[in-house]
Order: sequence, then C-alpha cells, then structure tokens
Amino acid sequence: MTKFSKTSAGFSRRNALRVLGAGGAAGLFAPHLLGKPAYAQTPPATPTGRVIVGLSQEPTVFNPLMPHIEVDDGVNFSLFDALFRIDPEGNIVPNLATEVPSQENGGISEDGLEWRVKLREDVRWHDGEPFTAEDVKFTLELILNPDFRAWRTAGHALLRDITVVSPTEITWRMEEVFSPYMSFLTETFIVPEHILGNAPDVNNAAFNQAPIGTGAFKWGQRLAGDRLELMANTEYFGEGPYVEQLIYKYIPDMTVLYTQFKSGDIDLVGQSYITPDNYAEASTLPDRDVILVPKGSVESIYLNMEKPQFQDPAVRKALYLAIDRAAIIDALNYGVPSPTETFMPPQSYYYNPDLPAHEFNLETARQILDDAGWVPGAGGIREKDGVRLSFANSTTSGAHLREQAQQFLQQTFAEIGVEMKIENLPPAVMWGEFWGMSQFDSAMVGITYLIGADPDVTNRFHSKAITAQGGNGSNNAQYSNPEVDALLEEGSRTFDPEARREIYFRVQEIIREDLPFLPLYAYTQVHGRKAGIEGYIPNTNTRTESWHAAGWYWS
Amino acid sequence: MPAFLLNRFMQSAVLLVIVSIIGFTVLNLIPGGPMSQYALDPGMTQEDMNRLAEQLGLNRPIWVQYLEWVWRLLHGDWGTSFRDGAPVLTVISRHIFATLLLMGSSTVIAIAVGTWIGIRGATHRYSIFDYTATVGAMIALSIPTFWFGLVGIYVFSLQLGWLPAGNMYTIGDGSVLNYLHHLIMPSVVLALVHIAIWSRYMRTATLDVISQEFVKTARAKGVSERRVLMKHVVGNALLPMITLAGVQLPAILTGALVTETVFTWPGMGRLFLDSLGYSDYPVVMGLLMFSAVLTIAGNLIADIVVALVDPRIRLA
Amino acid sequence: MTTLTADQAQSHWWQSRVMRRFRSHRLALLGLCMISLLTLACVIGPYLLPYDSLYIDLRARFAPPFSGDHYLGTDPLGRDVAARLLMAGRISLLVGFSAMILATMVGTVVGVIAGYRGGWISAVLMRIVDGFLSYPSIFLLLALAAVLKPSPMMITVIIAVTGWMEVARIVEAEVRSLKEREFVLAGRMLGLSRMHIMFREILPNVTGPIIVAATLTVARAILLEAYISFLGFGIQPPLPSWGNMLNGAQQYLASAPWLAIIPGIAITIAVSSFNFIGDGLRDALDVRNDTV
Repeated sequence: MTKFSKTSAGFSRRNALRVLGAGGAAGLFAPHLLGKPAYAQTPPATPTGRVIVGLSQEPTVFNPLMPHIEVDDGVNFSLFDALFRIDPEGNIVPNLATEVPSQENGGISEDGLEWRVKLREDVRWHDGEPFTAEDVKFTLELILNPDFRAWRTAGHALLRDITVVSPTEITWRMEEVFSPYMSFLTETFIVPEHILGNAPDVNNAAFNQAPIGTGAFKWGQRLAGDRLELMANTEYFGEGPYVEQLIYKYIPDMTVLYTQFKSGDIDLVGQSYITPDNYAEASTLPDRDVILVPKGSVESIYLNMEKPQFQDPAVRKALYLAIDRAAIIDALNYGVPSPTETFMPPQSYYYNPDLPAHEFNLETARQILDDAGWVPGAGGIREKDGVRLSFANSTTSGAHLREQAQQFLQQTFAEIGVEMKIENLPPAVMWGEFWGMSQFDSAMVGITYLIGADPDVTNRFHSKAITAQGGNGSNNAQYSNPEVDALLEEGSRTFDPEARREIYFRVQEIIREDLPFLPLYAYTQVHGRKAGIEGYIPNTNTRTESWHAAGWYWS
Repeated sequence: MPAFLLNRFMQSAVLLVIVSIIGFTVLNLIPGGPMSQYALDPGMTQEDMNRLAEQLGLNRPIWVQYLEWVWRLLHGDWGTSFRDGAPVLTVISRHIFATLLLMGSSTVIAIAVGTWIGIRGATHRYSIFDYTATVGAMIALSIPTFWFGLVGIYVFSLQLGWLPAGNMYTIGDGSVLNYLHHLIMPSVVLALVHIAIWSRYMRTATLDVISQEFVKTARAKGVSERRVLMKHVVGNALLPMITLAGVQLPAILTGALVTETVFTWPGMGRLFLDSLGYSDYPVVMGLLMFSAVLTIAGNLIADIVVALVDPRIRLA
Repeated sequence: MTTLTADQAQSHWWQSRVMRRFRSHRLALLGLCMISLLTLACVIGPYLLPYDSLYIDLRARFAPPFSGDHYLGTDPLGRDVAARLLMAGRISLLVGFSAMILATMVGTVVGVIAGYRGGWISAVLMRIVDGFLSYPSIFLLLALAAVLKPSPMMITVIIAVTGWMEVARIVEAEVRSLKEREFVLAGRMLGLSRMHIMFREILPNVTGPIIVAATLTVARAILLEAYISFLGFGIQPPLPSWGNMLNGAQQYLASAPWLAIIPGIAITIAVSSFNFIGDGLRDALDVRNDTV
C-alpha cells in the first residue's frame, strides 16, 4: 500500500485513479454523489419537472448489449446500471457492485486472473423483480452467445467459469491477465435474466423495444423519429432521480437543434451538437449555462502506413511540419478544441505532457524532404524512386468543418510540393471495408483511442490488431513497431497505475516520433443547458452527456 | 377491357419484380454496409463487425439474400430494421403520418392555387395576371427547394421569429393550432414548386380545351361563359392532369424528402435518407417497394382513367 | 389545322399575336441576355477578378459583401465568394446543360420509338420508364454517387440517368396521338421508312413539347446537381459548384447569410433563364399555337 502514501489532496484528479486500487472506498459511502458541486442547491424531495435533451441522431437501440451509437448510450445510462461506473475524474466506482475489486482488497487474485464481485442486495428491476448475481451471469454469457448480436466482445471473450456464489456475489476467471477489463465493465449494462432468459429470440425480443432496467428512469414511450420519454424510477436505489420526466428529442439538423436550444424548446444539449462557431454566441445567451467539455477523442490526419508515400518517416515528419495547426484550431474551430501531440486525452492521468511540441514551419518541411531525396517532379510534386508525393484524403462527405480543414491543408501541402486530393465518401462507405481493411491513403478522422479511461491502446497500435494483415483490432493505420507491441502487452498485464503510467508515457513518446497519424487537436465539446438545471456534471470518460441524468434537477 | 387490365397487371407485376431486383442489387453494390456506423466505436474491431454481418446473414451471396427477402415478403414479413430493431412496416408506419400531413396540406394548397392560376391565366390570356403568373411559375420552378427553405428559415424564423424553424410540433403541446403553426412554412415551401407545375400544365390544358370544336359549339349555342368553363373546360382540362398526378405520385417520397430534411420533419423522406446513409437495407427496400407500388399503381390508374374517358386513345 | 384558323378568327388575332410575340420575345430575350451574361461572366470573370477561387486566406474569412476588396464577401476559408461563384458557374452550368442534352436525347428516342411502334416494344420501353420513375430519384442519385467516384462527368451521367423518363413519357404520349394523323398515314402510303416517319415526319411536330420538357429537365439538372452537392455527395471540394457552395451554408445562416443567399440567387437566375428561353421557344415553335 506504500504507493498510496503519495496520495495527497492536491492531486485529487490524478489520485482518483489510484482509488481504483484502494477498493473504491469513496464509492462505498456515496456511490451516486459523484463530483457533486458544493454550491448545488437541494434537489426536490419527489421527482418534479421535465428535462428535454436534444439529440441530432435518433436513439433506436434499447438493448444495451446490442450494437449502438453514442445517443443510445445516453438512454442506456438512464435505464440501466452496470457493475461499475466511471466518474468524471476517471475513478471507477461501484454501481450495482458494492465495491470495486482490486488486488489489494482481494477482489482480484494476485496473479490477476480470479475476479470476485460483490453486489448490492437492495436493487430491483423496474418490474419489481429483485436483481441478483444470476442477472450478471446471464448478461456476461449473453454477450458471448454466438447467436446473439452482441456489440463488442473484446475483453469479455477472456471470461471463463462464471460462477454465481450467492445472489450477491459472482466470480470468474480470466483466460489471461487483462487489466483494462474493469473499464469495459463500466460500459456493460446488466440486463434482466427473468425477461430475456425466456425470450425465444433475444435479437428480436419485445424487451428491445420496451426495455426494463434497474436505472434511475423507467421506459415511458417512444415516438419514433421524434422523441423518447422516460419516467422517474421512484424506487431507484441510488441518488435521484429528481426530475419526473426525461425526454430525448431527436432533431436531425444541428443548426435547428441550436436554434431550438436558443428558443428554449429544448433544455439541454450535449455531444458536439453546439458547433464551435456557435460557442461565442451561445455563451452570451441569457439564462443558459454553456460550458466547454474536453472529449476523449483526437482529430487527426490518419495515415495508411503501408502506402509507399508514407513509409518514409521524413515524409510524415514533413507533412506534420506543414500543418498550420493554430489556424485550424483558432480560425476554423474558433479556438474551442485544444492542441495535442498524442492519442491520450489531455485530462487523463496517463497523458504525457512532455512530448515535443508541434511546429508549423514550411522551410524545415521542405528541407527535410530535400534531404530525404524527395525532389520536385512533374507539376512541382515531389517524387522519389518512382513514388509521387500525391495521396488522397477521405472523410465523411458533407462534414463541412472537416472539408474546410481538408482544403486548407491541401493548400499548405501544395506549398511543400505535396499533392493531397480530397475524396470524401458517404458514411456507410467511408467507414466500411474502406476504413476497416485499410484501403484509404489517408483519412481525416476523430478517434477515441481509449475505452472508458483505461490507457490500453493495444486495439489501435499493436501490430496484431491490423485487420488488413489478418489481425484482429482497429489498427487501421497498419502501424507496426515491436517496441510498442511489447510495451502494450506489458501494460495490459499491469494493474498498478503508476507502473502503467510509465509504460504508456513511453508508448506516447514512440508514437509521437513515428507519427502514424498527424494530430490536429483534442476534441472539446460545447454543452449547453438552461440556467435552472442543477446537478449537471459532464463526464469525459463516457460517450454521453446523460451518463448521470439521475442527478439533474430544476432549482 | 378485361384483357387490357390483365395485361397491364401482369406487366406491373413483372415490373415490380425487376424494380426490386435492381434496387436490391444497387443497394448491395454500395461498398460498406450497415455495420459501418459502429466502426469508430472505442474497442470495436473489424472481427466484431464481421461477426455481426455474419449473424445478420449479410455475408451470403446477394441472390440468396434476395430470394430470402422475397420469400419472407410473400409471407407478409418485410424484415427487420438493422438500426431500429423493429419490423420494417412498423418503422414505416411510424413515419407515414408526418409525410401524409405535409403532402396533404401542400397538395391542397398546390391544387387549389395552381388550378385557379392556371385557368385564370388561360381565360385571361396575356393579361398582366397571366404574364405575372407565367413568369412567377417559371421563377418558382427555378428556385432550389432546400434553398427556399433556408431563406424561409432565415427570414421567418431567425429574423422575424414568426414561424418555427422546424419540427412538427412543440413538445408538450399537441394542439391542432400548434401543428398548423409548424405546418405553414414547410407546406408552403413544398407547395411552391407544385403550384408552378400545376398552374403551367393547367393553363396549357385549358388552352387546348378552349380551342376545341365542342367548346366553340357550346359558346355558339349561347351557353354562358362560366358554364362553358366549368363544364367543358375544367372537366376536359383536368384529364391530362390525371396523367400528371399519376407521374407525380412518387413525389410523396422524393418531394417531401428535401423539405423534410431542411425542416427536420419526422416523415418518410427523412427516414429514407437516414436509412440509406446507414445502409439499413430492409427499410430502404421497404420504402423503395412502397414508392414503386405507388408509382406503378398511379400510372396504371392514370392510363385506365384516360382510356375510359377518352375513347380516341386506343388501349395498348 | 382548321381549329387554329377558327381560333384566330374569334379572338383579336392581330392584337394577341403581337402581344404574344412581344411578350415571348421579351422574356426569351431577357432569359437569353441573363444566361449569356452569366455564362460570359463565368468564362471570363475569373480572369478579371483580383482573387483566385481556390486561394485560402484565413485572415480574411467571413468578410461581408460590398465591403473592401471582396465584392461578394468571403467564405469560411477566406476565399473570394465572387471568384468562387463564377468558377462554380462554369461547373454547374456545364453539368446541368450536358445532363439536360443527354437526358433529352435518350428520352426523345425512347419516347418516339415507344409511341410510334406501340405493341410490345412500347410496353417494354414504357415499363422501363415506369421502372426508373418508380425509384425516388434521390435513391438513384445517392446510390450511384456512392458506387461511382463523383467527378463532374459522373455527376452529369448520374443526373441524366435520373432525368430522361419524363421527356420519354411526354414524347411518347404526343407521338401516340400524332401517329394516326393524315400526314403520317400519307407518309406510310408513300412508302417512307419507319425511321424517316418517326424522326423526320413526326419528331418535328413534337419539338414544342420536347422543348418544354427540356426546359424542365435543364432546370431539374441544375437543381439536382445543387441538391446532391449541397448534401456533399456531388462535386467535391476544392472544385466549387453552386451546390457545394451551399454545403455548410446552413450552419452560418445567422452569422453569414450571404453564403447561403448568393449561390441560391445564382442558381435561380440560371435556371429561370433557361425556363424563360424555353417558354419563348415554345411559343415560337408550337405548331398548334403559331402556325397559320
């Protein structure tokens, strides 16, 4: 326990992660009072009022284990609970569990393979049935059921011998040590066995259209293409809910969404629905609280390392030098996002702040290319050994901020003798095999590299994660570096945050040097809400603004 | 006549099959697929996406998938939406009301205004009214609908604040007045083009009828101008309009699509665009067949009516 | 054409005819003037303006129109809107016009053959037309744009593919009603070939409707290009088109409305010019109304 002695109040955010090792003691006392601001007024005794959340995509998937998008996550967080939750500081805290297992409290064995989770006994499903360890077992097994259309199976696939010890205790064994699994469990919502266990076809069960969870809100009704109404679960075991009705309103156009936020038709806007160009105006609106919320994803020019143009490190270095990042952030994005040199979100405990800073210098860029033997050829485009420095950049068509950045980059790249063509594609095409099987030259893409707050990025940078080369993962850049491979393997076997921090610092250094992607900025979202809404806490470690709607109330 | 009907029905059935085959093939030719939307989820792998595609049966040859789709269709099963998890017919029926409301109101506006302008233009040929109407119609036909919608939003929502910028109603206020308030701008914007088309065709059609012998005979017999107009002119001029209406049926989807996008109207047009964007094949196929049946039925009815009314046209 | 003489005998023919010629010529001339000026501006304008349509200058972004050097202001990348508008005009007009010609040609040939031949040929052709019409055009547009790489030529073809059917229907109906007329029967008796009758005898009599249909088609083509480029599936940046200039303009509707308004006006002017010209030609060519 010596490492916890370093913990001091002054580093609360970073400390928080170490609490993970300390068994989530804080969570034991106040599992649902996460980061509650001191100035908050008293919430009402009974749920009152209504909050309308604006979404520009429609939530349609209500079985939380099936493939879904961010907006579905928001609904899931309100309807369901997971074993653990991740708070805004990155702490993993108990949710349906009573404590977070660790090697220190004996919840995880010394070799990291045996897990034991103790559950709350005061939890009931919305239909009144008690929640037990059987539900957890059912959920974990359902994810691995080959007939069930589960979302992602990474991590879960390592589970063996899931055993219900008692209604409030469950154990399992991991096939191999995998420390990030704790983070995975914060996004694994538990579904009721007594309902889905009897369903003849879980993929098309009635439950999927009218879910029953344990969460702070109960299913009300859905008006497809328009809105979703959730009702307060007055029997909720945790904090809240304080509002009687939670409405998710679907407004497919972001401009209209913003207009309706201004006009007061909707109460709360999260995600990235208020665009950076509206931030300045939004923050001056009367009776509206508009805040900047750092996001876990990084926007980059993502390179396909197997393309001959990008194999020379000099080219990647020169391209990075030729990006006028300040202009992209300050002018095109109104200074809302923040510069970054790494895939790690700046607010993470594992963020390495000492990476070499980016510099915009066309002279040096040209020099590097000259020195590397890339000489101007036909049309002023550099070439070397028959390879022209010409490549396509692709992203989702119609994403106009990205298209602006693309055109801007196109102009500066041309100044160093590099041709970048813009070939954008509809979303279903862009993110299909074109992306998954690394058929692109380069892409402009915002990627969330972490799952929850865990620093593991094996899935993104390990050479075994290159699908185009027969691997399994999302290393679509086809990046391969044996040193990074070794570090990532070590990192996923390590539970101690300090030791992991060192590992991932090194990983970030190497990747900054290798530049498989050229970081443009770390995303920052603009969240807005009506001034009277209290208890609203954004959480970078989840994909949704509604991760804790239970705590919202009107002052 | 029965032989003709049978013949046309057979042709229509064959056509539907061909339309469905081509639609299915084109849809499957588009690279990527319904799983693409999860590609950027943290922790999602291509292996998981392949597994999902496999579970959904998307890895099988197109013809197998097509035959399965047909087989289910013959049993009344339109399939299940990938995005929504609900049966296709349920998904479509959830959006149909919004579209019918918008189409209905704009069609009423378009037919009423268009017919009036058309007839008045024809009977007062070369008057200021006719001149303005003709030029106005041509300009109306020249304005991009989505742009007109944008300008409308700019003027009436952003600048004047009179009308809502989108949506079908305000949450929590389901009153008829509220619906109407939201309906004004989209239906007028959508009607504009149709007014122009209707009035142009109506004018031409009326002129054609006016110049026919029987109208002159009627006039010569001393039948009042108004009566001539109502009985002969309008009746006969409406005939070619039936053909037009038949051709315009699929506009229920396409015409509304643009307007629904700009005004965030929760109708079928937007469902179609969304489903296409997400490669939600079952819903897209459902909407395609819906639109195809409408069009083919529209054409068929138009042909039959024209044939019944106008004996000069021989039935093919 | 006995009915027509009767028509003229009844009305103040001299008055109406003069009026009509006056009107039609004036409108057509206006349309011709507008489109010529617009085309001329698009062709030579970019050489006269001090700014390049592709030159990005972030310091000058969102300059409003009629202030400073940028006559029509600048876009979010600080590019000169006037220069882009004119370059975009080249693309949009070319795409619209080519697509119209392609669609009209295909539609006319199909319509004439189907209308004249009748029987199974007509049935097959017209069911193909029905088939194409029964796809919402936006489906074909978006599906094809997703399969093919969207170059200006591909966009032209895609638009033509979705736009030839209405011409075909109109022509078919006209030809079907004309084929029993005396002059056609006479032609047949004289032993003229089918091709000759179809394209030399009947076709000229269908010119009016074809032109009316073509004006609608060119309007449609320019508008469709605008719409799919507006959605981001059409002409790809940095190449400007009137449609892709509008892409993203909705976002700046409150702060920079000129970005949305200016290209829309250009589209409206171009399309109405074609409509005016078409209307003038229609009056001048329409056999039933004009021939004495």
